[in-house]
Amino acid sequence: MAAAAKVVTPVRADFEGIVREHQSMVFSIAYHFLHDRPAAEELSQDVFLQLYKSMGALESAEHVTRWLRRVTTNRCIDQCRRSKLMPRIGLDQVAEPAIPAGLPDIMLSRALSQLVASLPANWRALVILKYQEEMETEEIARALDMPVGTVKSQLSRALDFLREKASRMLRETV
Amino acid sequence: MSRLDDALRDALRREAPPEGFAERVMARIQAPQEAAGGWAKWLNAFRRPQLRWATALAAVALAVGTAEVRSEMQRRAEGERARDQVMLALRITGGKLQMTREMVRRIGYARREQ
Repeated sequence: MAAAAKVVTPVRADFEGIVREHQSMVFSIAYHFLHDRPAAEELSQDVFLQLYKSMGALESAEHVTRWLRRVTTNRCIDQCRRSKLMPRIGLDQVAEPAIPAGLPDIMLSRALSQLVASLPANWRALVILKYQEEMETEEIARALDMPVGTVKSQLSRALDFLREKASRMLRETV
Repeated sequence: MSRLDDALRDALRREAPPEGFAERVMARIQAPQEAAGGWAKWLNAFRRPQLRWATALAAVALAVGTAEVRSEMQRRAEGERARDQVMLALRITGGKLQMTREMVRRIGYARREQ
């Protein structure tokens, strides 16, 4: 009886509210991953369609948020693997975007965004969830179904890579 | 907190989706439901309790009728097969009678000539 009551098709108005509440989070994860606004919108729409069909199994607002982060990230990783959006050149060969002197913060931000987009899909997911969503290592591990140790080590390697590239950029501009 | 952390937070801050995003999502959700609407209404009519019995009775009548027609066709086919066999037997018998009559006639002629 309780299980039957739990599986309720969401009322349209309620669901539209959920879309409006989470659209920025879902779209931003997809955009930072794919660096392509139309592709990010399409993927985000697909995620919300999947959410609509899965609403009966979700028990709370927090569950919906966790579900959206996990499904969006996994779809992004899958899309990268399918469409070969993975870096087409080796990490060592990624050129640092030039930063004109005088505008370090804005340009650094833009350059870092591009550097993140050049990371392998798994590293990219970890960096986006940590810095966009401000998630703790344990939360990321749960969301991506990965061991905490793996999350820590991969995040550390991704940040070392970004730090090295970013500091090289800054040295060159000072 | 390093400068890299701050720069990454800034670089990866949330962005607003394109204008009308939520409306487009809701339109995509609505679209398949409208497409399925005609069939869904038709099927829902059969879910009413009054129509359930009528549907069941119609299904039983259809099954009985189909079995009856099949049995009738089988009987008719067997009858036709039997009639063909009788006709064949009659043709064979008729041919043999003809031959016997001819033989009797020849024997009769031969005796008269003696």
